[in-house]
Amino acid sequence: MRCELEQEKLSSWINNEMSSEESTAFEDHLNHCEYCNRELVAMKNAWSAIAKIEPEPGDNMWLRFDTMLNTYKQSLREHQRSLMEEKIERLKRLVMPHPWFRIAFACALVVAGFAAGFLLHRTLSGGENGETVKIEALSSQMQEMKEMFMLSLLENPSASERIRGVSYSAEIPAAGKKVVDALLSTLNNDPNVNVRLVALDALTQLASVPGVREGLVGSILHQDSPLMQVSLADVMLKLQEKRSIQPMKDLLQQKNLNLQVRTKIEQTLQHLI
Amino acid sequence: MEELTDESLMLNVKQGKLADMGELFERYQVKLYNFFLKLTFDRSASEDLTQTVFYRLIKYRHSFDVAEGSFKSWMYKIARNVHFDHSKEKQKNAEQLKELELVHEGTNDVTGNTPADDEQIHKLNLALLRMQPDQRELIVLSRFEGLKYGEISRISGKSVVAIKVQVHRAIKQLRNIYFNLQ
Repeated sequence: MRCELEQEKLSSWINNEMSSEESTAFEDHLNHCEYCNRELVAMKNAWSAIAKIEPEPGDNMWLRFDTMLNTYKQSLREHQRSLMEEKIERLKRLVMPHPWFRIAFACALVVAGFAAGFLLHRTLSGGENGETVKIEALSSQMQEMKEMFMLSLLENPSASERIRGVSYSAEIPAAGKKVVDALLSTLNNDPNVNVRLVALDALTQLASVPGVREGLVGSILHQDSPLMQVSLADVMLKLQEKRSIQPMKDLLQQKNLNLQVRTKIEQTLQHLI
Repeated sequence: MEELTDESLMLNVKQGKLADMGELFERYQVKLYNFFLKLTFDRSASEDLTQTVFYRLIKYRHSFDVAEGSFKSWMYKIARNVHFDHSKEKQKNAEQLKELELVHEGTNDVTGNTPADDEQIHKLNLALLRMQPDQRELIVLSRFEGLKYGEISRISGKSVVAIKVQVHRAIKQLRNIYFNLQ
């Protein structure tokens, strides 16, 4: 005869899933129900029988577990290290910005430097007008330096240095009285005829400067070298200097005058008159 | 030294004392191995799966929460997932016949058993093998792993009442198969 009892109670009882009241009631029932007793015994047998099957796993389970744990710890450490590195990297990026930014910063610095220099210069020279004044001052200073250089060269004991000094006068724009005086003095007094010749050339170039023509005319009687006398006569002819007629006539009066010079002067006089 | 509960050991692991997982391994490796063995009938696969469970226990240690249940139920929940992943990869029907032979072979190397025991164990294995996989899992969890219905409910997501009915059916079926084999 089949029992009307909920059959799940059997397994619940076997599995110890009942409250104490439930199990007391169930045990009461068991005392007078043969069907349930038979069922329960059969189920219990099967249930306890399968519990016997519990083989042990292989020997290397622990070894594998330890290896796994160590590998995991290792990976964890590496992960933490990489986290640290990442933090350091982020800090670095904060302190040292992107390379492009650095380049841009350098460029900005250069521009700022130029700008600062320009502004400083402007304030010191006081604007555009001041600038031209400054340039003029500079060029006059330059001129003075060149003149000084030339004069010092003219006083040099070496003839070739003095020639350099004379030719240097060509590089002085708008030669002043000082230069002309120095050249005339060289023309009249230099002991070397070559230097005197170069001085004559230089003065011929400066003929438009006041005082040069007069100096040249005055120099005619000072020269005793035939070469100089002939060269001066040429210059006089070239400049068409009438004032040189009298000194040249005076020169012709000199008894010891070179024959060639005499002929040259006479020719020159004919052309000039 | 006082014996720590599973839960406090697992909380230690959660807080970084990974070595305490060794104690939990000591306590559960055989249980887990048998859980997988009864579901797969494959010794080496069961060893692999047992290791996988412990790896996942460590990896997901932060998700362990005492409020959500015992360590055991959490562990078996993970074990179930491990087995689920494993069985997805396998073509069951083709494997089962092969496994049957393996079971017969495999039981012979269980030491300390008399030939009569071996015979009975083989029959039980056959009985288990003939059950539906989800019923087999229920038997394993409640009988072999000693889990309460409440815990199985948490692990499988089924209600306690449903578990109660299903376990009962599973036991009955096991009994029938087992006695038919005798």
